[in-house]
Amino acid sequence: MASIEQRYISLSARKVNSAQGKEQAMLIVTLLYLVAVLSVPLYSPQKLIWLAAYPIIASEMEGCGFRRIFLKSLLIIPLVALIGIFNPFIDTETAFRIGNVAVNRGWVSFISILLRGLLSLQAILILVESSGIIDTINALRKLGCPSVLTTQLHLTCRYISVVMEEVIVMKRARAARGYGRKSYPLSMWGRFIGQLLIRSMQRATDIHRAMLARGFDGSLPLGTTMRWNSSAWIWLIVWTALIACLRFIDFSSLVVQFLHK
Amino acid sequence: MSHHFIKFTDVTYRYPDGTEALKGVSLTITHGERVALLGLNGSGKSTLILHTNGLLLPTSGEVNIGGIPVTKKTAPEVRRAVGMVFQNPDDMLFMPTIYDDVAFGPRNMHLPEDEVRHRVDDALNAVGLHDVADKAAFQLSGGQRRSAAIASVLSMGPDILVLDEPSANLDICARNNLINLLDSFRHTILLVTHDLDMARQLCPRSIIMHEGRVCADGLTQTLLSDTDIMRDAGFM
Ligand SMILES: Nc1ncnc2c1ncn2[C@@H]1O[C@H](COP(=O)(O)OP(=O)(O)O)[C@@H](O)[C@H]1O
Ligand SMILES: [Mg+2]
Repeated sequence: MASIEQRYISLSARKVNSAQGKEQAMLIVTLLYLVAVLSVPLYSPQKLIWLAAYPIIASEMEGCGFRRIFLKSLLIIPLVALIGIFNPFIDTETAFRIGNVAVNRGWVSFISILLRGLLSLQAILILVESSGIIDTINALRKLGCPSVLTTQLHLTCRYISVVMEEVIVMKRARAARGYGRKSYPLSMWGRFIGQLLIRSMQRATDIHRAMLARGFDGSLPLGTTMRWNSSAWIWLIVWTALIACLRFIDFSSLVVQFLHK
Repeated sequence: MSHHFIKFTDVTYRYPDGTEALKGVSLTITHGERVALLGLNGSGKSTLILHTNGLLLPTSGEVNIGGIPVTKKTAPEVRRAVGMVFQNPDDMLFMPTIYDDVAFGPRNMHLPEDEVRHRVDDALNAVGLHDVADKAAFQLSGGQRRSAAIASVLSMGPDILVLDEPSANLDICARNNLINLLDSFRHTILLVTHDLDMARQLCPRSIIMHEGRVCADGLTQTLLSDTDIMRDAGFM
């Protein structure tokens, strides 16, 4: 119960008085980071480990807490597993040996895909949690993303929160009359979902009407232009430099060399 | 538009599912008047007011706002003249902050950002919400959300205000603030309400609907004390 409401609130919440332009700086850094992560060659996952510095440090700086971000990012594992699970059986050439055990290239690429998935999702979660989904979309639009796309994104988010609101109301109504009953037969769930669809459609119609009544013509108006303050610039410059270092300097072999001396 | 009147001529409306929600409604509300629209649930009040800004178009008959017949083509122009406050304020507040919600209409009108700021400040001041401009809607109380919804319409500079059950879900204090607020406006007002006291306080004239028809139209004091009319409208 409470958890749904909290999740809904965290979807629509945004930090009040958030730094102007910071959303845009974070968006650019996130995009750079995704490029950096996804461009690491498939067979060198050791390079990805160093790139984990961004989600760890940035989440703590933004007050999201890395532990929470990490746990949420585990959601992507089933999807990633689906993509990479056959690699170990297809790509059986030996990559390296640990003692007597031969590790094949398939396992290396599987780990690589898993790490990419986790790191990418973590970066996106940090962006959305600290800027708020709506500001993120606005920042996208101001960076030149077509308004057809951003308006769709915006309305999709709005629609998701409408459905969540209806779920909350219906769960309350159910809880109030359920006398502590915990489970319902499948047929009840069917009716529940049917109801939910009808109610969400009705709400969506009402919201659309309210938007039309105030002159909505298919594209959401842009807000005030974001002014970049020093914290936005610092965020952009420092992280761009750090991510470039993490991506292009081979810290793993430096460490190995250092240990050999 | 110098005369902000609302004129319905023999308007019928049938929903796509066949429900006849309006069955020949004629009425005229003149410049500067304040009118309460009363009636039981399902009597057609919401359907009627959705016709005042072209969100619904009559199946037959004509709606005219300040000399402009409401059609699909004139709807955008009419919507600038008629500010509509919907029943559920949450339907009107969907931007990240209250400021952006109130700026939504003016920005859709493609006004320069200075003018937008000016209008938003004025509207928020008018409803006493200037201090919460940067908050998100869910951080406000029910009464504040209602006021924010009203501000989001005021910022468009409408001539006519149409409100659907604005006192629903408000506590006594928020309700009294709302009455004082509406009382301070000089707009032509059409107020849908179940709150008969509010109608008495704000609106000299009332229109009562019953099953898609206007069943009484006259002075609020007279209508509300006429037991025959109140019985016919289903209030007793
Ligand atoms: N979207 C709709 N589709 C079909 N019938 C509707 C719809 N909305 C309202 N109605 C019907 O139209 C009639 C008038 O409804 P409405 O205008 O909402 O009344 P009120 O606002 O006075 O409660 C009711 O019988 C209602 O069931
Ligand atoms: Mg209604």
